[in-house]
Order: sequence, then structure tokens, then C-alpha cells
Amino acid sequence: MVTVIFIAIASLIIASAVLVVISREIVRAALWLIATFFAVGALYLLLEAEFIGVAQVLVYVGAVSILILFAIMLTRQHERHEPAWRAGPWWIALAGVIGLAAVLITTIGAVPWRLTDDDLPVSRAPQLGTALMREYLLPFQLAAIVLLVALIGAVVIAMEERRRRTPTLADDIAAQRGAADRAEDGTP
Amino acid sequence: MNRTIVISQILVIEQAPGWLVAALNHAIIAGVLLIGGAITMMLQVWVERRLIARMQDRLGPNRVGPEGILQSIADGIKMFTKEDIIPRAADRWVHLLAPIVALAPIAMMLAVLPWGRGLVAVDLEVGVLYIAAVSSISGVGLMMAGWGSRNTFALLGAMRSIAQLIAYEIPLIIALLGIVLLTGGMSLARMPELQAGIPLFGSSIPGAPDLGLGWFIFTPVGLLGGIIFFICALAEGERTPFDIPEADSEIVAGYMTEYSGMKFAVFYIAQYLLNFALAVLSAVVFLGGWQGPGVAWLADAGLGAAASLLSLLWLLLKAWGLFMLMVVIRAAVPRLRVDQLMSFAWKYLLPLALVNVASAALWVGLTEWSSIEWGNLLPVDGLAPWQRIGVAALVTAVINLGATRWVLRINRAPAAAPVVVPA
Repeated sequence: MVTVIFIAIASLIIASAVLVVISREIVRAALWLIATFFAVGALYLLLEAEFIGVAQVLVYVGAVSILILFAIMLTRQHERHEPAWRAGPWWIALAGVIGLAAVLITTIGAVPWRLTDDDLPVSRAPQLGTALMREYLLPFQLAAIVLLVALIGAVVIAMEERRRRTPTLADDIAAQRGAADRAEDGTP
Repeated sequence: MNRTIVISQILVIEQAPGWLVAALNHAIIAGVLLIGGAITMMLQVWVERRLIARMQDRLGPNRVGPEGILQSIADGIKMFTKEDIIPRAADRWVHLLAPIVALAPIAMMLAVLPWGRGLVAVDLEVGVLYIAAVSSISGVGLMMAGWGSRNTFALLGAMRSIAQLIAYEIPLIIALLGIVLLTGGMSLARMPELQAGIPLFGSSIPGAPDLGLGWFIFTPVGLLGGIIFFICALAEGERTPFDIPEADSEIVAGYMTEYSGMKFAVFYIAQYLLNFALAVLSAVVFLGGWQGPGVAWLADAGLGAAASLLSLLWLLLKAWGLFMLMVVIRAAVPRLRVDQLMSFAWKYLLPLALVNVASAALWVGLTEWSSIEWGNLLPVDGLAPWQRIGVAALVTAVINLGATRWVLRINRAPAAAPVVVPA
């Protein structure tokens, strides 16, 4: 039974991942990517890693994909056009894929997987939290700093954009009317 | 429901395989939840229309059935028989799947909510996280609707709704985090069990009666968290004053503009069901869930079934009360502007929610840590549990009140200092 479910989920992952690459429309590719993320979450659930599965859906489906969709819709013209992969020489892509597959297969084969018949603890969230706060405290803190730097960088870039903006007629009028009016109705 | 139980009994007699029994079991529970959800949605629409009408000095629907209670069924039949219009330029598949993707996660939310004493379909260890994860999926459905329709109004509505969902999801989850700290776990089924006893002190005073009133809303952490959570729930459920994504006077009906017939009805169901699920969630996390006077007494008297029934009644009472509060707010408050919406989430709710998490951590430290864990700085070992709760309530109340005053003041600061206008 588990094998049947595994095969169903795995084929869903592979099929949707292939469709991400061959979709002609970038929004559809993004939607297939969401399907892939979701199926990977289901795979985690099948492995009884509830926390990782739910976190996968929360982070990748709920946050990352929505930001991808948002970015696509804000920046691109929605026209059907040939994706870039059709333009380049196909043998470079093929060589890259074969090379990557070789590296992945040899790495996975070389890992000494620790298989036990013991019952694993049902709840992993407390153990994960304890491990992050004890053994892996330094990497955890470093990741937090990296995220903070990215956040500040985004704010700085957005501020520069605003400064470079040429003032419109409405801005001029607002400047003439003085800052008091602006403070009152709250619009910049 | 009776018939399905009989069917499963027959199958057991006929030596049905285990997986079939399990599948039937799940199908029955899912069926009860989904049919219950559909009926709830119809009642919600009727209650909302009647209540709004009352507040606007009208009558509201009162012709179909007694007091118009069957109006929603008539509307449902109308929806079924309407033509399904798909715009020629639309992306057919995305347009078709969008309402389903919007509704399915909300139906999935119903599975982990504890409906009464011992009445929970799935007790997930990571229940709170699951709710947060699943509710964020429906944003994908809205995005698909907005883009698949190829309509500027629809796309604008989808953009607005996603910006709103992302902005309000963060304080919503952080408000829940405070309660997760208090309970020491993310299981939703356990939360009502921890809210027994009397207000504020719970069951920490020996000999006190179990009134089922130890709700988290009576603690300073739960009060601030509950208010933040309810405001964010209004925004997540796209209720007025946060109905910017479908502001009918500005962008027709937002992402639903190009939908008709049953597809439109599915969006409608999704929205009302989300509102109800969020009301139930607020009740479970902050208002004691199914706890209430009499439940513990009935359970102690050996009337387990009666206790479960009473607890279900308490939960539904609280959830419907919160839903009616949402309706009254809709009738009383005008719609926010987009910039007001954003600054309210990021400048008011988020800082307060973060302070609340710090308060919750302090609460746990003051009520549960021993003196040694405090590094022998605080002599907390000598105090009784209820005394420690009292101290913690005092400290966190001061912190939360101070933080609320501070956030309200700094956000009003520019207006307080008027700038001299040059003539």
C-alpha cells in the first residue's frame, strides 16, 4: 500500500517537474512548480515527518511560490512566447543533465544510510527545536544574520528607487501645500 | 449518517479488508464535516443578510421559508442553473481549477479543529502550523483566478488579496505563537483541555471548581494575542473593513469578476467557510474552545456523551458569536485604503505581536521555571503555582499595556507636532 502511494506521489513530482521546464507560458510553469512543491510535501508526510511536510507547504507553497507568481505578474508581459531553452544548443543542456545525474547518483550511492528497525519518535518538532538551540546554535544564528542582511538590502534598494523617482505634478503641488496637510491625510 | 454506519457494520460482518474499513471511516468523517460545512455556510449567509438588514433598518430576506431561512437554498438552486461563462481570452484550465484550489485548503482546515470534548477528526501534533500552511494555499487559488480570467479588474483584485494575505499572515502566526509558547505544543486538540478551571488561574488553585473558564483571553498575553488574531482573521477572511480585494465600488468583484454560476458559488462558499473556520480557530485558541461551565461536571458524573454534546454547543455558540461580531463590524466600519491597510499591519500589529511573544516567554519563565533555571536570581520556588501566575499576569500586563500605548503614540507622532506652513 505504501509503495503504491509512493509511486503515485513520485510520478506526480516527476511529471509536474518536467512540465515546469517544458511549459510555454511562464505562469503555468510557476503553477506546475507549486504542484511539485506540494507533492514533495506529501512525500515528507509519507515518511511520517509531519513537521517537515507542513513546513514545506508553508514555506514553499505558501510563501516562495506566491512571491514567484507575484513577481512574474508584476514584471512580465503575459504573452505566449517560445521559452529560452529552445533557442540554445540542446547538447549543452543534455551534457549538463547527464553530468548532474552522475554526480547525484554517485553521491547518493556513497552515503552510508543508517537504517534501523527501531520505532522513531512520533513527534519531531520538539527534538528539532532542541537541536537548533543546542548543537546547531551557531549555524542557526548565522542563518538569521544572513536573512537580516537580505532584508536590510531590500529596504536600501527600495529607498534608492524612491529617491531617484522624478517628482510628478502631484508631488509639486503637495510640496507647495506643505507638510502639515500630508501629515493629516497620511499619504506620502 | 445512520445509513453509512449500518453499511460499515455490514462490511465488518462480511470480513471486509482493513483498508476498506479505514477508508470508509475517513469518508464518513469527511462527509459529516463537508456537509456540515455547506449547511453552516447557508446559515451564515442568511444570518449575515438578516443582521445587516436589521442594522440598516431594512427587513432582509424573509419570504422563502420561516423568516426567510430557506433563501440560501433558493439562491443555491439559482446558481446551479445559471450558465457557466468562460471569457474567450481566459486560460481555460487555470480558470476552471482556481475555485477548487481556493476551496480545498479551507475544507482541509476543518479536519484538525477540535469541535468538542473528544470530537476531533485528526489530532495533528503540528496542528497550528498545519492551519497556517493550509490557509496559505488558498492564496494560490485567488492568484490563479485573477490571472486565468485575463481581466484587469480580476488581476488587480488578486494582487490586492495576495498583498493583504501576506501582510496579515505574519502577525496572525506570531499571535498564535504566543499561545503555542503557553501550551508548550502545537496540537489544537490539546488547547481546550489546557483552558479548564477558573478565569486567569486555570486549574492551579487546589480545591477550586472546574468551571471550564480558564480561557487564554483572560490572561494579558492571550488578550493582546486574541485581539491581534481576530483583526488578522478579519483581513484573512476578507471581511470589511479589509474587503479591499473585492471592493465592488472600485474593481467590480476583484478576482471573482469573470466567474458565474457554480464556480462563483464555490468562491462564495470558500469565503464563508474560511470566516467560520477562523471564528472556530479563534474560539479554540483564545476562548477556551469547547470548555464552558457544566462540561467538566457532566464528564465527572459519568455522562460522557452529554458532556461532548454540551461542549459542541459551547464551541458553536462561541464561533457563531464571533461570526456575528464580524458581521456587525462589516455593517459599522467603512473600508480601509490600501496604504492604511499596509501600515496598520506592519506598524501596529506586527510590533505588538512581537512584544506579545516576549511576554509569553516571560510568562512561561515565571510560572514554570525553577529557581535554578533562573540562575538563582529569582526566588520563585517558594511560591505556590497560583501565586506565580498572579506575578506573571501582573508583569505581562504591564509590558503589554506599555507596549500598546507606545505603539499607538509613536505612530501618531508626526501629527502631534504640526509643521509651520510657509505662506
